[in-house]
Formats: sequence, C-alpha cells, structure tokens
Amino acid sequence: MATSSSSNLAKEEQKLALKLLIPAFLILVIIALYPLGQVFYTSFTNREFASATETEFVGLDNYQALLSITIRELPPVIDEETGEQAVDEESGEVVFERPIRVLPRDPHLYRPSFEFSFFGNKYVVGARTPDFIRAVWNTLVFTFFSVFFETLFGLVVALVVNSEFKGRGAMRAVMLVPWAVITVVSARMWEWMFEPTRAGLFNMLGDRFGLIDGSYSFLSNASLQLPAIIAVDVWKTTPFMALLILAGLQMIPNELYEAARVDGASKIRQFFNITLPLLKPSLAVALIFRTLDALRVFDVFQVMLSQKRYSMASFNYFQLISARQMGMASAIGVIIFIIIFAFAILYMKSLGVDTE
Amino acid sequence: MRKNLVLVIALVFVIAFSGIVLAQEEEISLTVAGGAVGQEKELTEKAAEMYMEDNPNVTVEVLETPDLANDRLGLYLQFLEAESPEVDVYQVDVIWPGDLGEHFIDFYDYGAEEVVDKHFQAIVENNTTTDGRLVSMPWFTDAGLLYYRTDLLEKYDREVPETWDELEETARYIMEEERAAGNEDFYGYVWQGDAYEGLTCDALEWIYSNGGGKIVSTDQEITINNEKAIEIIDQAAGWVGDISPTGVTGMGEEDARAMFEAGNALFMRNWPYAYALASQEDKPTAGNFDVSPLPAGDSGSSAATLGGWNLSVSKYSEHPEAAAKLAMFLAGEEVQKMRAVEGSFNPTIRSLYEDEDVLEAVPFFGSLYDVFTSAVARPSTQTAPQYNQVSELFFQAVHSVLTGESDAQSAIEYLELDLMDTTGFETGEPTQP
Repeated sequence: MATSSSSNLAKEEQKLALKLLIPAFLILVIIALYPLGQVFYTSFTNREFASATETEFVGLDNYQALLSITIRELPPVIDEETGEQAVDEESGEVVFERPIRVLPRDPHLYRPSFEFSFFGNKYVVGARTPDFIRAVWNTLVFTFFSVFFETLFGLVVALVVNSEFKGRGAMRAVMLVPWAVITVVSARMWEWMFEPTRAGLFNMLGDRFGLIDGSYSFLSNASLQLPAIIAVDVWKTTPFMALLILAGLQMIPNELYEAARVDGASKIRQFFNITLPLLKPSLAVALIFRTLDALRVFDVFQVMLSQKRYSMASFNYFQLISARQMGMASAIGVIIFIIIFAFAILYMKSLGVDTE
Repeated sequence: MRKNLVLVIALVFVIAFSGIVLAQEEEISLTVAGGAVGQEKELTEKAAEMYMEDNPNVTVEVLETPDLANDRLGLYLQFLEAESPEVDVYQVDVIWPGDLGEHFIDFYDYGAEEVVDKHFQAIVENNTTTDGRLVSMPWFTDAGLLYYRTDLLEKYDREVPETWDELEETARYIMEEERAAGNEDFYGYVWQGDAYEGLTCDALEWIYSNGGGKIVSTDQEITINNEKAIEIIDQAAGWVGDISPTGVTGMGEEDARAMFEAGNALFMRNWPYAYALASQEDKPTAGNFDVSPLPAGDSGSSAATLGGWNLSVSKYSEHPEAAAKLAMFLAGEEVQKMRAVEGSFNPTIRSLYEDEDVLEAVPFFGSLYDVFTSAVARPSTQTAPQYNQVSELFFQAVHSVLTGESDAQSAIEYLELDLMDTTGFETGEPTQP
C-alpha cells in the first residue's frame, strides 16, 4: 500500500519534471536541432544560394564529390634513346609521368592533391575536390601546431603571473590585451607586419640585421603561409590559454607545496609531482576548448589568405558565397561537424575528463 | 486587469501616433551599399548629399562594403537570400547583373526609357537580362590602363613600351639603375596578382593581347588551352620576383597603388580611379606620371578588360520607387560629371567625354576614348550563372603558375577540363582581337 502510493508520487513528480523540461527542450530544438537538421537535409540537395532555381534531391552526391580520393602510381618516363628512365637535365632528378595523364577523368575528373614517393616509386593522390582535401589538411596542421605552442607558452605565462612579484595585478591585465583585440583587426595588423616589401616589419628587421636576402612574401609563399598564420593565432590565443591554466594553478592548495618543501623536494620535483598532476583537469578543459576552436578557424584564414589557401571553414564560405553551392557547402558543414565531434570524443576518452 | 488595460491603451497610443508621424512627414530613409576603394565612399556620400538637398524628406545613408569584389558579393548574397529590405540600392559589378538579376527591379518600370540612350550601348546591353529587364543603371565604366612614370622614362631616355617584351626590358633596366642609385625598394612593374577577380582581369588582358582568346568565346567554346595563352602566362610568372616583387602574388588594386604612389614602381596596371589619387599634390607621383594603353602581345594589339560598376535597386526595398529615383539620379549626368572631375571615374554617358570640365580634369578620357569603348569583356554573359566559378577556376590556375606551384601547361590543361566539367561547353579555337 505504502509502496504503491510512493511510486505514484514518484510518477507524478516525473511527469511534472518532464513538463518543466519542455521549455528548455523547445529552445534547444529551435536554436540547435532545427538548424542542424536543416543543414543535414540541404547537404543532400543541390540547392543554390540566393537563387530561385529548382532544388533537387541528389542523395550522397555532394559527399562523394568532396571525399572521393584515389591513389595512382606515376609510371617513370622512359628515354627513347637510352631505354632508361629519363633524367631532368637541370635538376638531375628522374622524371615521372605527369599526374594529368594518369588520373581518371570519366565519369568524374580527379585532380592531383599531392604526390609522395615510396620505395623509389612515385604516387599521386587524386581527389575530385582537391581544395577540400587540402583545406582539411591545412586545418589539422594549423590546429596541431597552434594548440601545442599556445599550451606551452600559456603554461609558462601562467606560472610567471602566478608567482608573487610586484605589479602582478597589472601584469595579469596587460597579458590579456592580444586576446581582447578582435581577430579580424589583429589579422589585419599582422598582415601589415608581413608585408612582402621592406614596408613590413619582419622584412625590415630581417633586412636591418642582415638576416635575409631580398624580401620574403610570407602570405603568398606556400611554405611560409601556415607558419605565419600559426604565429598570429599563437600570439592572440596564448593569453586565453594562460588564463584557463592560471585558474587551475590557483586551485592547488599551498599546503601541498609547504609539505613538499618540508620533505625537501626540489622546485622541479614539485612541478612534476604536484603542479602538473593537479593541473591536468584544467589543462584538459583548456585543450578541448582550443582544439575545437582551432578546428573551425575562419577569420585569420579569411583575412590573411583569402582564396590563396583555405581552412575548412573558409573553404565552406567560398563554396557558399562565391560558387553559391548551398548543398555542397552544407555537406562541408556536416563533415566539419563530424570531425569536431570525433575530436571531442577522443579528448574526453583519452584525457579521462569526468563526464558526470 | 486594470494594469493590463493601461498597457493596452499605451500601446495603442504609441502605434497610432507613430502612424500619424509617418503619414505627415513621409520621412524615407534609403541605404546605398557602395564601394570604398580610394575616394569612392567620399564621392558617393557627396552625391547623396546633393540628392538630399533637393529631396529634404529623404535621408540617404551610405553603407561601406568590402574592397574585394568577391567579399562584397558575399555580403550582397546574404542580404538577398534573406530578402532583406535593409539595403535599397546596390552598387554591382559589371559581371553580376546576369547572376543577380532576379533580385532587382526593372528600371524600365520607373521611366529609364528616356535616359538609357545617353549611356554606352554595350553596358546597357550587359545590364539587360535575357527577358528584356534593365536591372542595373550604368554608373561608371573601367578599363585596365598602364600607368608609367614620365620623369624616369625621360631620365633614362626610354619610350613608353608598346609590347610586353619592351615593358619587361625597360622595367628591368630602369629598376637596376634606380636600385644602384640607392632606392633599394624600387620595382619595375606592379599589378594585381592575388588570387581574386582582379587577377582574372589582368590575366585576360595578357592572354587576349597575345592572341590567346578570352577563356570562353562568345559562342560558348572553351578556348583557353592554347600555346599563346600558356606562353604569356609563363612570361608573367617570370616577372614575379624579377621586375615585380614576389609579393605581387598577394597584391590587389590598392596595394599596387600604394607602391606606385610611394614612388617605388615604374609601371603599374590599374583602373582609371588611380589617376586622380596619384595626382594629389603631396604625393611623389603628382605631375610625374601618365597613362597609356596596356602593352600588346603577339596579336599586335593591346587589350583592356572591361570593368565598371552599376546601380541596382533591390526588389525587397520598402520604397522601390524612391530608391529607383535615387539610383537614376546617381547614375545621371550631374553626378557622373562630378565623379569624373573629382575622382576620375569614367562616365558611362557618351556626351561627358566631350565635356570641357571633364577633359580638363582628366585629359586621357579624350585620348584613350577608344580603349574604353573597345574594352574586352570577361566571359560573364556566356557562362552565366556560373561565371563566378569559371573565374575562380581561372584565377586559381593562373595564381598557381605565378607562385610556382604548378607549371603553366598542366595548370591550363586542368583548367580546360575543369571548365568543361563546370559549364558543359566544348573546346574551340581562340578568337582574335
């Protein structure tokens, strides 16, 4: 008797709880699930942006166009006179067939994405949308290096401003300035510093100290583009990293260090045995924040490199705005979503973040 | 209950009064989305003030839009996709009327019949959709020009180059001499080499002047894959890091102008707007430069890409009639003359090329009249509505050659296949100028 009445009460309460959850759930549906569902749906169509042309359902076509890749071996070019592999006279390197003769054209055109050598044979990776494959690669490289350096420098900065010294408050405020500058503005500032003539700061300094010969064009030289962009992001986001790590540092009780000192542990020992283990949860949170943020990087790429080199998000932007292919752009959006989701899960598992 | 009643009454009052206020004064606010390259914004604001003086009930605001045409298109598309009434008049590139026509009103419904005959016929045709709607009023026209330093050519006793080879030779010679004389930052030739629409314009000029056709011919044949085109792209790639700075592959119009105006370049390819700016008194270039047609290639004649901007009125505007009136005023004789005299913007009204004030301010309008009337159009009509994709494929291919990522032959072969894929056209022989 008593048990059934209490379970009735529990049921009542559960019903009430469900009713109370409805507003939150509705808001979630309207602001998150509906747009997401819309993007999923559009990614299966050939919808055109800002146009009245008829939209058709095309199934997985967009995904196939983005993700199809193929690997082909490049056959060596045989010199007709000697019967051996031809050698380039200028560079002295052996010559292989050009990818355009090897990659398939029907029913879809595959273009070279990149080439690599393996046991003396040369291979080419062809893709139907090589720009997208490259954009994914650019974004991953950018994310890895920028997050790595930001964490490293952030940790150093946090340890410095966590120690006792005169003017610590002011230092903490000043430290945050790069983070406070709007990304588009700071990207523009760096663009000026990267100017390819001596009007740019770096070329001017390099020239003044005789470090470089002539001038570097940081933003149009393919091998300098990513390092330049990573430098901008590290400059801008290190303060954010430092802030998160500083919060973690301040939660470590001082008694632990006192005890360690009494036991005669050195500063380095203290760092590795006390600071680092206790900092792990804050570090994990900071890393997740930054990684997910870096994976969807848009503004630095858009301002500084525009259509010279894409990140995933800026490639998406140009598919939508310039090519006006909303279906394709939505498919890219979905792929970015899946990649970021995968990273989030990977982090949670590997860093043991408490999901409760 | 009573509280609610008070609220309702208050609300009724607010609505009623705001309605009356609107009805009495007919205050109309219009927004013009315009460019801000060089003096553009300043002059558009001045024209807006001229209009507001005559029409005190209208407030005209000028919305500054991005310098790069692609970015500007992106902004416009977002307004248009949302059917936003926020912008009434759009400044649109000469390559857009075909693509965006469905979002704009027909000027013939607002009395454009009387004024169109005064404008360049080619541009009016360009702005008319296939079903005969005039979706854009011509505002100013543009053509690529060669700017050169008269003082330096005189100092080293050289002629204005008539072919690309001569340009290369003269540029290299004077560049080396000037550097030896102490100006280490001096370069021979600056142009638009960034991966954007501007490169499409520059490269089309090289190729067409060299007899390599205009990418896609008027008969919808893809003509880009030919020796002449490959040869001239290779030649241009040779300029990078030689007579042009390596950074030219990241330069737009304004970057080139900054370098030329600082006195650090002998030649510059740019649009006419740079003339008035480079003539401003405090600049080293003032009085020391002139313009000529761009050099010719193997075809023997020079080519200038047709540029220019037009004014369109959004179908989603709340006051389409007032907006159309404003657009026609801005594209009218009075404003075009003011813009020609103060900003060296090329009028689209023929009679202004004989106007004394205009010719005094910008003498080359008279001498280079032919360049403006015979400018070569980008293949925007034959490839509509895919022109943007065609152009992007083209400038990316050329850019990859300029930066050395790819050789000209592979890049152009791939470009041909890509264009066939995108447009579905067949290949053909290039048209000659």
